[in-house]
Amino acid sequence: MKNEYELVVDVLEGNQGSFEILLQPYRKGILNMAYRMTGNLEEAKEVCQETLIKIYRHLDKFKKEKSLKNWIYTITMNSTYDYLREKKKYKDLVEKQKSLPVDTGLDPEKKLVNKEIKEKIDTCLQTLSPKEKSVFLLRDGEGFSVKETSKILGCSSMSVRTHLSRARQKIRTQFEKIYPFRYGEVKQ
Amino acid sequence: MNCKKIRRLLPLMMGPEIPHAKVAAVNAHLEKCPECRREYDAYVLSLEKTKEWLKEDSKDWEDREWQAVLQGAKKEKAPKASHLVPWPFKKIWAYALMAVCVVVLTLLVVRPSFIEEGTGAGERMLAQQEVISMTLVSQETGLKIVWFFNKNFELKEIEE
Ligand SMILES: [Zn+2]
Repeated sequence: MKNEYELVVDVLEGNQGSFEILLQPYRKGILNMAYRMTGNLEEAKEVCQETLIKIYRHLDKFKKEKSLKNWIYTITMNSTYDYLREKKKYKDLVEKQKSLPVDTGLDPEKKLVNKEIKEKIDTCLQTLSPKEKSVFLLRDGEGFSVKETSKILGCSSMSVRTHLSRARQKIRTQFEKIYPFRYGEVKQ
Repeated sequence: MNCKKIRRLLPLMMGPEIPHAKVAAVNAHLEKCPECRREYDAYVLSLEKTKEWLKEDSKDWEDREWQAVLQGAKKEKAPKASHLVPWPFKKIWAYALMAVCVVVLTLLVVRPSFIEEGTGAGERMLAQQEVISMTLVSQETGLKIVWFFNKNFELKEIEE
């Protein structure tokens, strides 16, 4: 079986089938990352399309000594931020013009069976800033180290620690809204 | 450390984010302070549960969708395998090498025909020629460089 770098070389040499094999291990990860960041599955898929385009276009820039996983997540995070920025711009524009309603509240995922879990996650993550959310999702969700997270997000390890600490505090506070327990009562 | 300091460190106690010495100090405090201990448990529980929910609610592509997204990416201009090319053949080196080769070859092959009286028909023709031009065309940009030399192989000024 070919390693990741050999697969990259394969794609660069014109074997397009290797592109799929190369991305297979990350297909779920990048979708969920974008999904948590945007809060919407359809939007997450749009972000992923943009991510894959960038990965394909810049595959020749990938260096052998780097981690492909980190590189793919870096591109995913950049695409997500670009998307959120555009979305915000669009929302601001719409609000200024006061024409279309910004949020119709229609969310197809709410119809799913795990609606309840999604609501719990939304409650826990809703007070997090985009930076806190991305730090939390990379570190606690995907298991990246503090150093890896800092590289992916292009910030210092200190900044990652600060945002991670704040994110966990906020989650802990929000969590009590779902599990209102008196200290010491709930232990699983 | 007092409770206030401990509380500040608690959110980072669930992983290797703080140095061992501090972890040991916090743990020692948690042993004897039930309030901070409960606070710590609350962090652990909220984090564990949130991670659990994230796993339960994780999404995956339908194969058809994933294929479409892959195809969408591949519609883009294919990346070039430029970094796979060994250094002597990389663009800038290739141009430099080409220029050096041209100069060396012309000096070796063409110049002697001016010094020595040519006897062959071709050499005579060269010797009679007043101006020699040499054209370099870049395959990539189409940029054309034309050099004009007189018969002593001195660069001639070009008059437009
Ligand atoms: Zn205490």
